[in-house]
Amino acid sequence: MNAHPGLCVRGLRKTFFGGTVQEKTVLNGVSFSLQSGEFAVLVGSNGAGKSTTINAVAGDLLVDEGQIFISELNVTSLPAYKRAHAIARVFQDPMKGTAAALSIYENLALADQRGRRRGLRLGLSKAKVDRFRASLSVLGLGLENRLKDHVSQLSGGQRQSLTLIMATLNEPQILLLDEHTAALDPRAAELVMKASLEAIRRSGAATLMVTHNMEHAVNYGDRLLMMHDGKIIFDLNSVAKAKTTAAELVERFHHVISDRMMFA
Amino acid sequence: MDFLNTYFNLVPVSLAQGTVYAFVGLGVMIPFRLLMLPDLTAEGSFPFGAAVAASAIAGGFGILPAMLFALLAGILAGGLTAIIHLFFKVTSLLAGIIVLTMLFSINIRVMGKPNTALFSFDTLFTALLGPAGGSPISQFAVLFVILCIICFTLLWFLHTELGLALRAVGANQVMASAQGLSTSWYVIVGIAIAGGFAATGGAIMAQYQSYADVNMGVGVLVIGLASTILGEAIVGRDTLFRQIFAPVVGAIIYFQAVALALSLGLRPSDLKLLTALFVLLALGLPILTERIRKRRSKLSQ
Repeated sequence: MNAHPGLCVRGLRKTFFGGTVQEKTVLNGVSFSLQSGEFAVLVGSNGAGKSTTINAVAGDLLVDEGQIFISELNVTSLPAYKRAHAIARVFQDPMKGTAAALSIYENLALADQRGRRRGLRLGLSKAKVDRFRASLSVLGLGLENRLKDHVSQLSGGQRQSLTLIMATLNEPQILLLDEHTAALDPRAAELVMKASLEAIRRSGAATLMVTHNMEHAVNYGDRLLMMHDGKIIFDLNSVAKAKTTAAELVERFHHVISDRMMFA
Repeated sequence: MDFLNTYFNLVPVSLAQGTVYAFVGLGVMIPFRLLMLPDLTAEGSFPFGAAVAASAIAGGFGILPAMLFALLAGILAGGLTAIIHLFFKVTSLLAGIIVLTMLFSINIRVMGKPNTALFSFDTLFTALLGPAGGSPISQFAVLFVILCIICFTLLWFLHTELGLALRAVGANQVMASAQGLSTSWYVIVGIAIAGGFAATGGAIMAQYQSYADVNMGVGVLVIGLASTILGEAIVGRDTLFRQIFAPVVGAIIYFQAVALALSLGLRPSDLKLLTALFVLLALGLPILTERIRKRRSKLSQ
């Protein structure tokens, strides 16, 4: 699955409210790279900079320093919509990833052309219906029979599942999942997580998943990154990760933090 | 039953008026409903379209070129509002007011004076319906056919990849940019199209009444809004087809209501107050009913 090269992030720095008393450095030299097909899980406490990292990669915020490369292309100064050809996302808020006022069908058609030029061809076609139905049926939620329904009629879990299918519809090079199961009830969260693993496996994208769920962090993915105070404080490969349990991870996290506090 | 007689006499004229203002209704509906971005530019692009078309016709350009110039003028006016909104971070409402204020002066520049008469020139109506300009019913028929063609074209456009993208930007900007859409670009396009509709309405109005006047835009936005709301109450807005035809149906019904009010002895100058009150009621109704519902459920506990 090494068809696409991946993501490379070098020395990202970002300070909010610079020059004021509220000045806060949220990224303080973040560097890592992901191979195509690699699935990394990003953990860390609140305010560690996980979401900021995701938003910086996606282009929702521009960094003060550092570079971001997608398949060796420097995208550091491009806005989100100009990176979208390579990047697909699932947001924490189920409302963000889909357009409620449009039908399931229309949402899929929009995502099917992610990052491509749009013209005066009709947005919907018979050929697309079959493809969309097949993609949706993987979820096992029956959404394939509700193509004409407005997305506003779906539950949070269904919307998140739809966003996931939309994200992987046209082979993204990079897939960003930002705590995408956090706003769901436990049952829906498990369903969406299961669908995510399947989607990640199928897409072959370099995947970065932020989570607060330590079980998810140790059970899924083949790499584990932990952030604290705007830095990546450790990076476990799949071998090291396989030996780690959730309890050890929490232990290790506290250990790192208390060490830092002693030296500070 | 004297007023009914008066009303029946007014029906043909008000049907024709309704179809002219339906263009404004479409120009108001697009930003409000498809882009979820309230826009007031119609108040300025309507007389702008009238001034441009009237000056072009009086200048001997012919009817079709005059209408095209008006359309282009409206697109520019709408585009300018969107650009002011996006690049100077001014709310869309204020951006519209800035543009319509500019247009007041520009309209006088365009015409060289505050109004232009077209009585001695060929217009859309004299060209299609004979030297007298046709009866009100035939004017209505012609405008209605043109409107239907335009509405179906709009319906088709909104189903294309570009139109779908435009609706996505209106529905969810975060999702739209994650799908690679430049939200700014689509907002500019949408508001520009809306400006084109309002200006075309103005161009037709100038030919319908055979003159253009700088003050003819006063109150048209509220008429467009009232038409949209009224039409939505009648035909609904749950499909695109209904959403597009709502302002058309609404404008036609609105002018019937106006004719009825006038035949009941109301002064034409009272109409703006009534229209504004109607819009206020329609906008406030959901909040009022919600309050009443809450109070009732509190009482029943």
